[in-house]
Amino acid sequence: MGFDIKRFQGDVDEELICPICSGVLEDPLQAPACEHAFCRACITEWISRQPTCPVDRQAVTASQLRPVPRILRNLLSRLCTSCDNAPHGCNAVLKLDSLASHLVDCEYNPKRLMPCEAGCGLVIPKDELAEHNCVRELRVLIASQQGKLTDYQQELTEQRLIINEHKRELALLKEFMRAMRVSNPAMRALADQMEREEVVRWASSLARARVTRWGGMISTPDDVLQVMMIKRSLSESGCPSHIIDDLMENCHERRWPPGLSSLETRQNNRRLYEKYVCKRVPGKQAVLVLQCDNTHVDEHMMVEPGLVMIFAHGIE
Amino acid sequence: MANIAAKRIKREFKEVMKSEEVADGTLKLELVNNSWTELKGQIAGPSETPYEGGKFILEIKVPETYPFNPPKIRFLTRIWHPNVSSVTGAICLDILKDQWAAALTLRTVLLSIQALLSAAEPNDPQDAVVAKQYRENIELFHLTAQHWTNVYAGGPNVILDFVQKVQMLTDMGVDENQARVALSTFDWELERATEQLFS
Ligand SMILES: [Zn+2]
Ligand SMILES: [Zn+2]
Ligand SMILES: [Zn+2]
Ligand SMILES: [Zn+2]
Repeated sequence: MGFDIKRFQGDVDEELICPICSGVLEDPLQAPACEHAFCRACITEWISRQPTCPVDRQAVTASQLRPVPRILRNLLSRLCTSCDNAPHGCNAVLKLDSLASHLVDCEYNPKRLMPCEAGCGLVIPKDELAEHNCVRELRVLIASQQGKLTDYQQELTEQRLIINEHKRELALLKEFMRAMRVSNPAMRALADQMEREEVVRWASSLARARVTRWGGMISTPDDVLQVMMIKRSLSESGCPSHIIDDLMENCHERRWPPGLSSLETRQNNRRLYEKYVCKRVPGKQAVLVLQCDNTHVDEHMMVEPGLVMIFAHGIE
Repeated sequence: MANIAAKRIKREFKEVMKSEEVADGTLKLELVNNSWTELKGQIAGPSETPYEGGKFILEIKVPETYPFNPPKIRFLTRIWHPNVSSVTGAICLDILKDQWAAALTLRTVLLSIQALLSAAEPNDPQDAVVAKQYRENIELFHLTAQHWTNVYAGGPNVILDFVQKVQMLTDMGVDENQARVALSTFDWELERATEQLFS
């Protein structure tokens, strides 16, 4: 509907008044034959009730309505009006065609968003600032976040159950494949690939470790105490079961590659240690040097599926 | 009340108040409440009609959907006219129904109703009894309309014969308005009016 005529300075020509709402034409359209002009919203509403011109009742349909002539639009755009926010203190007087752009950033707009200056960090419409209470707003926020958190926790529990089921199924499938691979070569290749990928996945889940003192290496660890502790830690970190026993064997120099197998060779190859990509055995003074992480290392420094090196200290 | 309806009515109210018809006493308009949804209008009976000298009060109800729908208007003052119900005051006028146009205003509507008093449309009647009398006995219609104007709208012409007939029936305990409707309906024949009233 049109603009309230009281907002305009001076007299407004009758031609610029909408006969339906009696305001100044807003986004006007005119009937084709009689050229009577109306606000778009007003004439659309009227024609939805009856397809006639509201002034002379000539037949008019919505599709016959036309934009008004440029001269009428120019007359309208030159009218001077007060701002919509004049009741809120805006004294601006604007040409009608610049009203829309003024309204976008009129600082008297009661709905303009303002940051709360008391420090709650919320952004609120200006007219709600007086009623605004940081504590209350934040409490509401907390309550809603808590609700969400509860939802997430519940979802998490459900997801965990599902994951556990999947794990069980996966374990069964692996058993099944192990049984199959003995008899079927294609299955064997597939299973080998899956196992390799499993190792890579696990390896990338482990944190990198840095050995600060290679001299602290224990090349002949105590089977029962040290090795069992390492095994438990590896198992908890998700070490694929088909390599864990091999890895545990590879804790000891008797299984290490030629380049590491004796104190003497180790002395000679010491500078090559820095090339190793080491992974942390969680919670232990020990590192994993996995084959899949160390394809760049010389053959005589590596064994399948990787080495475990236990240290007295110096792991970061 | 919808913003657009209130704005229109305020503007039209002012338009009527500033009009020459108000200045010369042909029209009157006043608010019934503060919400601009109900007004009371008054039109003067046009000269050279049986309604001359009478003041007719109209009830004007402005719908929420005004001006997309017409105002609801009826006579509060009783009137004998083919296009107005002698019982309810309902008006049969095309612009208050399917010929309503949003550009019409209270002033144009009131003037149209006044014009209806000068030019009845007996072929599109609101009151069949009145219309029949209008078609079949225009002189008696005139007198009856004059009598009603005198009694209800303060018109100057006293039709003594009719006054006496009404008096005779009220003396018999009949309600005055009922007596007048019955007599007017039966072309002021006492016998038929009495028969109908007491049957
Ligand atoms: Zn038109
Ligand atoms: Zn309009
Ligand atoms: Zn402004
Ligand atoms: Zn705040």
